[in-house]
Amino acid sequence: MAHSTQEVLAEIRRIAKDELQLDRSVQGSDELIQDLQLDSLGLTILAVGLEDRFRIRLTEEDSARVSTVADLASLVASRASGAQP
Amino acid sequence: MTSSDFENAPEILSVGRALPPHYADQETLIAALREEWVEQHYNLDRLEELHRAVQVSGRYLALPIAEYAALGSFAKRNEAWRRVAAELGESAIRSALRAAGLSPGDVDALFFVTVTGISTPSLDATLVNRLGLRPDVKRTPIFGLGCVAGAAGVARASDYLRSFRDQVSVLLSVELCSLTLQRKDLSVANMVASGLFGDGAAAVALAGARRHDSPRGPRVVAARSVFYPDTERVMGWEVIDGGFKIVLSAKVPQLVMQNIRRDVDSFLGAQGLDRTRIAHWIAHTGGPKVLQAFESALELPAQSLERSWRSLSETGNLSSASVLFVLGEFLEASAARPDDYGLLLAMGPGFCSELVLLRW
Repeated sequence: MAHSTQEVLAEIRRIAKDELQLDRSVQGSDELIQDLQLDSLGLTILAVGLEDRFRIRLTEEDSARVSTVADLASLVASRASGAQP
Repeated sequence: MTSSDFENAPEILSVGRALPPHYADQETLIAALREEWVEQHYNLDRLEELHRAVQVSGRYLALPIAEYAALGSFAKRNEAWRRVAAELGESAIRSALRAAGLSPGDVDALFFVTVTGISTPSLDATLVNRLGLRPDVKRTPIFGLGCVAGAAGVARASDYLRSFRDQVSVLLSVELCSLTLQRKDLSVANMVASGLFGDGAAAVALAGARRHDSPRGPRVVAARSVFYPDTERVMGWEVIDGGFKIVLSAKVPQLVMQNIRRDVDSFLGAQGLDRTRIAHWIAHTGGPKVLQAFESALELPAQSLERSWRSLSETGNLSSASVLFVLGEFLEASAARPDDYGLLLAMGPGFCSELVLLRW
């Protein structure tokens, strides 16, 4: 089932607020590590939330090419649509 | 610190430990949980990643693995807790008393800490009967301090002995974390907790300064509690119909990094000491990241927390009992010399820390 980047972005914002208790707004341009200050556990919480919601798998290799929230949203939307970027 | 502070300080006589008989290695536990969670999590490889990352090789469980499936309700979990906690608690106290050369009739005060089950009368009442403690024994059950309760319990049991200096107090910690696992909780916090926490009990026998003729164990010379305001959601339980649901924030190691060095330095400074004077570090085995945060923030020499790392691997995080297991192993190794200082430390829900200064 196809999901838009906007839908993924909304889910990232929900996870950031409800599960990571981030008390700041999340923008597409935010760097996951530098701006949101996610450590390995924080990144795992985000990954599991997205995997369960969009029924996809994120791999170790993916982390090498994802740096911002927008990168992640775009990767998840693309993978959920069946493409393999 | 004056010499009279030292002379008047309570002594730790012994530590007794008890583990339940049902050991499962981490791979067996992963397999059992995979089966449970296969339909709920899309990528179950995460479970294995998280369970390997906590560096625990296995856990001792209150019940055989096959019996956990039937523990749906809080009532069933808590009934199992009452039964197993009484057995382990009795065993840990008997072991501590035996090692201290004491009998149950010598115990004047019993402090009981747990965060994994409840009962009224509290478990210490059951143990008064099972052990044959005196009818005038003073009981202080403490629920809710979580992982910090091992260190805080040593501090409170010592506070008592500063008022009643010819008496004996016993601290008992029983934690059966496996009985709290919520199988329908799909949070990463629960995945981490299911890989990290184990079951066990530890008892510490302490004597007031007028009670010990020829002290052998460390004296509890000072203690400090530190509370971190507005951090209640960092760690704890949410109480749901099925029992206790874990609250465990990814911020725990960060909190350790931000606070522990300042708090330790302030505490030691008040005793006229600094970190270089601490020969022995006895740290709660919170998990790999917490231990790394202790090592880094406190600039500890290599191997300082070796016993904590080993304990984490062998039994997992036993909540309040963990730091007492590390203390027990340390005392058995007789690794301290007269006049050595040691710092026993733990952190837990509140969020808070407890620092206990020991001197041999």
